[in-house]
Formats: sequence, C-alpha cells, structure tokens
Amino acid sequence: MSTPAEVTAAAEHAAAERTGCTCDNSHESLFVPREAKILHTAQPTATEKHFTLQLADGEQLDFTPGQILEVGVMGFGEIPIGLASSPTRKYTFEIVVRSVGRVSTAINKQEVGDSLWIRGPLGHGFDMDALHGEDVLVVAGGIGLCPTRSLIQYIADRREDFGRFVLFYGARDPLQLLFPEDRAVWRASHGIEYHETVDRASVHWSGHVGNITTLFKTTSLTPETRVIICGPPVMFQFVLRELDSLGISRENIYVDLERRMKCGVGKCGHCQINDKYCCVDGPVFTFAEIQALEEAI
Amino acid sequence: MSAFFLKERDLVAFLNKLAKTTRVVAPVAKRGRFVFAEIGSAAEVRLDYDVTILPPKKVFFPPAQRIVTFDAESVSDCIDPVETVLFGVHFYDVKGIDMTDLLFRERNADRDYLAQREATTIVASSVQSVSPRAFWGSIGSSVKPKGHDAFLTKVDGGYVLEIVTDKGTALFAKAGFREATSEEIAAAKRANADRMTECAETLPYDSDAVAAKVRDAFSDEALWDELSNDCFSCGSCNTVCPTCYCFDVRDAWNLDQTSGTRTRYWDACLTREFAAITQPGGHSENFRAHHSARFRHRFMRKAAYLNDKLGGPACTGCGRCSAACTADIADPVRVITAIMERAS
Repeated sequence: MSTPAEVTAAAEHAAAERTGCTCDNSHESLFVPREAKILHTAQPTATEKHFTLQLADGEQLDFTPGQILEVGVMGFGEIPIGLASSPTRKYTFEIVVRSVGRVSTAINKQEVGDSLWIRGPLGHGFDMDALHGEDVLVVAGGIGLCPTRSLIQYIADRREDFGRFVLFYGARDPLQLLFPEDRAVWRASHGIEYHETVDRASVHWSGHVGNITTLFKTTSLTPETRVIICGPPVMFQFVLRELDSLGISRENIYVDLERRMKCGVGKCGHCQINDKYCCVDGPVFTFAEIQALEEAI
Repeated sequence: MSAFFLKERDLVAFLNKLAKTTRVVAPVAKRGRFVFAEIGSAAEVRLDYDVTILPPKKVFFPPAQRIVTFDAESVSDCIDPVETVLFGVHFYDVKGIDMTDLLFRERNADRDYLAQREATTIVASSVQSVSPRAFWGSIGSSVKPKGHDAFLTKVDGGYVLEIVTDKGTALFAKAGFREATSEEIAAAKRANADRMTECAETLPYDSDAVAAKVRDAFSDEALWDELSNDCFSCGSCNTVCPTCYCFDVRDAWNLDQTSGTRTRYWDACLTREFAAITQPGGHSENFRAHHSARFRHRFMRKAAYLNDKLGGPACTGCGRCSAACTADIADPVRVITAIMERAS
C-alpha cells in the first residue's frame, strides 16, 4: 500500500482533468427553487394545462430550446418539464403540464396569480448553431409538441437564419391536438410547411388520418435535412425507418428523451441512460449518440 | 510532511480533550458490529474494528438530508455545516470519500454535500482487523486515498501519526506529540503494506481489463439473468456502499400545513421503481423493469462507467455489499470473476 503522503498534487490535477472539475466557489444550494408567477393559463385538453409564467424577481429566464425546468409546488415536490416557448420571446416563458401523478396534478391545480417554483434551465437543448442555415424537419408526436414548440417558435422568429422548415405533428385523435392558435398560424404561414395527422378521426375531422409516418408521403425531403424527433418511444423506430430510406444521417437526427429526473443536476442517478445523465448530458441527444446507449429507447 | 509518535495514553488524552469542544465521529461497537457515531470520550472508540455497517459518507451525505425549507412566503436552503473531526477512517473508506467528493463536485457543485465535507477534518487509521468479505488488497490499486488530513498507524508501543494537510496540522498543532523517528515511520509503512495481503477475497484482474470486459458483457442477457436470479431488489448493496450516492427527493408538510421541508433520501438503483416514470391512466413506464437490468446497471456503474472519471473502479473493496446481500449474490469478486472467466 502506498502511504497517504505519496498522493501528489499531480494526482489531484489528473483527477480534475478527468472530470473537468474546477473548484466552484458558489455557496448556493442547487436545490433552492425560484418563484415564477402564473400570468395566464389555458386548458387545451382534459389532462393538459398550459402555463405562461414570469420570474417573480423580474429577471429573464435565459435558455435554449430543448432545455428543461424542474417545476414544482412546495409541499408536493417537483418534476422535469420541457420549456414550451422560445427564448426569442423574452419576457415570459411557457410550459405545458400533463396531470399524471401527484406533483403534476398539484401543479395543474394552480391558477393565475399563484406561483410555481422552478429550477433551471437545466440540461442541453438543441444545438442551434448546428441547425443554423440548414433545412429542418420537426416530427412531434402527442405531447412531444410541447418541448419542440420552443424550437418551432425560435425558427419562426429567426426564419431567415434557417433553410426549409417542415413540421409534422401527429396526435391520437382530434381532441388531443395541442396549441390550436399556433397551428392556425403555422398553417397560414408561408415560412412553415405544416402537416398534421390523427391516428383516429372523429366525425368532424376532415384532415389527414394515419400515424405520423404517413406524412412522409406528403412531401419530399433531401438527405441533408436536420431532423428533430420528440414523441412516445414507440414512434421512434417507425420514424427512423422513414429517415433511413431518405438517406438522412443519424448525426443529423436529434431526439428529446424523457426520464425520471429527481435532481436535474446530474447527481441523483434516476435519469441515467448507461453512462449518461439525461438531465445534464441531454435531454436532447443526436441519434448517433443514443444509438450507442443500449438503454436509451 | 511531519510525523509524530503517540503512546496509547497520548491518543486517549487527545481524543478526550477534543471531544469536549468538537463534534468527533469515530468507529464504536454496536451489538457486536461497528458503526461510525458521535463520541463523548475516547473510551468508546474502537480502532481495532474490521469494517463499519455503513460507510462514513453519512457524515456529509446523511440518509435523510433536508435540502430546502419553506413557509407561505419563502423558500430557503438548509446548508448548515458543523465543524467535525471524522476519526479512524480506514483507507478504503477514504477512497470512497474521495470518489463522492469528486462526484458531488463535478459539473454542478453540490454545496449541500460539500459544505459539510469542507467543515470536516479526516483522520484516517490503519486497518488492524480485516473483515471476512474484504478485498481491498486487490481492487483499484492505482487509486490512492487522498481525502484525509492525517493518517494514524498502529505500531508496536503506540501509533505513528502522519500529517497530510494544513487541516491536519491545525488539528494537532497544540497536541504536543513527539516527532516520530525514521524507524517508527518505516514500521508504519511496513504495517500498512503487510496488511494489504491479508484479505480473504482477491480479485486478480487489472481495472482496465475489468472495465472493458464488463462493458462488453452488457448485451449478454443470459449472463445477467444468471447472476441476478436470486436478487430481491432490496437495495441493501446500494445502501451500504461507500460510493453509491443516488437519492430520492420528497416533500413533507409541517402540522401547520403551510410550511414544510424538501428532503433527499438515500435511494437504490436496485429497487424496482428507481427508473420508472408515471404515465397517464395511473400507468408507469419502467426503463429498467427487470431486476437483471438493474443488477447490470449497478455493475456497469461500479466497474465501467465511472472508471474514467475516478481513475479506477467505483468500488473500494470494503466487502459491505457482499455481507449485506440477503441472497449473497452481490459480491463484486464473484460477479466480476464470473464475467472475466466467461468465454467471449
């Protein structure tokens, strides 16, 4: 056994280099949330609630599309939620929460004038520099439209910075379709090629019917297109098959993954996918990255 | 570096005086086994312990740690470090602390851990009695313990105390111990080196080779099923591990129903719900639904994923998981040996 004295400063330096660790002089806890006031709410479906928020201290939230927040109500806990608005719309930010458990139900009981408690933005969003100047296709299934809406708004607001912009949105049935006002704008916009579909039509539905992959038949795409996929895991393999047939490289495909994230800062271990933490290494990954992670999909 | 020689009575006098003014946490006997606990006097301290039930990480990362308090108007942190001397830590547990130091410090520095860590002075001590399931003599030999401030080694007639850091110097500055001779320092070095050959269990494989082979075994589902067949998903192996640091976070109200606390609790990746998320209709999606996937994740983490960051496996060879596992399947020596000997 080496004696303790044989541990050298060089070893410490090597450890610091391995981890990218530099001493952090912050004396703040990672876990104290900030107060966000609810300015507006909407209830697009029976289970989802759409919140427009503003930080109570008046500061702006600085984030990238695809990043997440830990959102909570004190006494109930917090859950990870993708930001649903673009940082180009600076003064407020938006989230959509689906009531599925105790915390999300508590959040969705809050009304205008109440507060939500947030930490973040957390994690890696979309690499906007890599998308700059490129043709972009967004494939959003169900509630997967919420985090991608941040990117859609961003591209719409800086339309001249991007190439062709195609948006596929699919939901189970017409009642599950989110953001009716946004969709009306996208439909009317010349800058966005918007296509939507439902798996099952209702009597009043006159639009496209079929799963989201059927939308690939409605337009042509070049192999250089950058693609963003966000939706239920079952959707990925079918969308990927279409992208493969178009010759789109997996380095150019981005996915936004969902996991249990208790801490959001790369410590608690719950969101780990092989050796990556979804909360700090993701939630946005290239498909090439997650292809190598056996536990990703 | 300076080194001192203490007779038993010097150590007893020092500890008795220290415990009157400072929180001292040291190994003590508990129902035939040993635990790290706050002491009132030197008489309680058992430096002849083999291994404690729980590792000393609980001093910085308690099983239940309040991280936030709130009332109707405000939310505040709970960082409130207490000056502490952690006394009598075996070198393998120092390694465990080094690893958690690094993991709590990297990327987002966790002040809820680090504040207490910085307020703590660690006095390591030599292993006098080897626990039956220990294998620290043969794992991670490239990883040296470094998080301690002083090291106490039992030798004939007393102890050799080596001071490693300024904190260690400050702790013993006024103790008045005599300097150790070069013969006494050499005897301490010999005692520690000799001890390394005394573990009953041995893992005779190089860490890098283990990391590569364990990683390659990821897709061998039959192997993981076989190794984890008797797993109860109880998480005991996680709970007693010096390098496990996963946690759950839960809120609780006070009786007034307007104030309360947010607390993090030790959690265990072997437990069934660890990677599950809630889905609509009361359903859940579990990203590691089968116990073999959870068992595999633990070994991937220990033997492969964290190696690059830590410079070796996230395992100290303390043998606590082997001893705590009801089904006796957690022993890293047996699991890693089975993987290494499997035909590829």
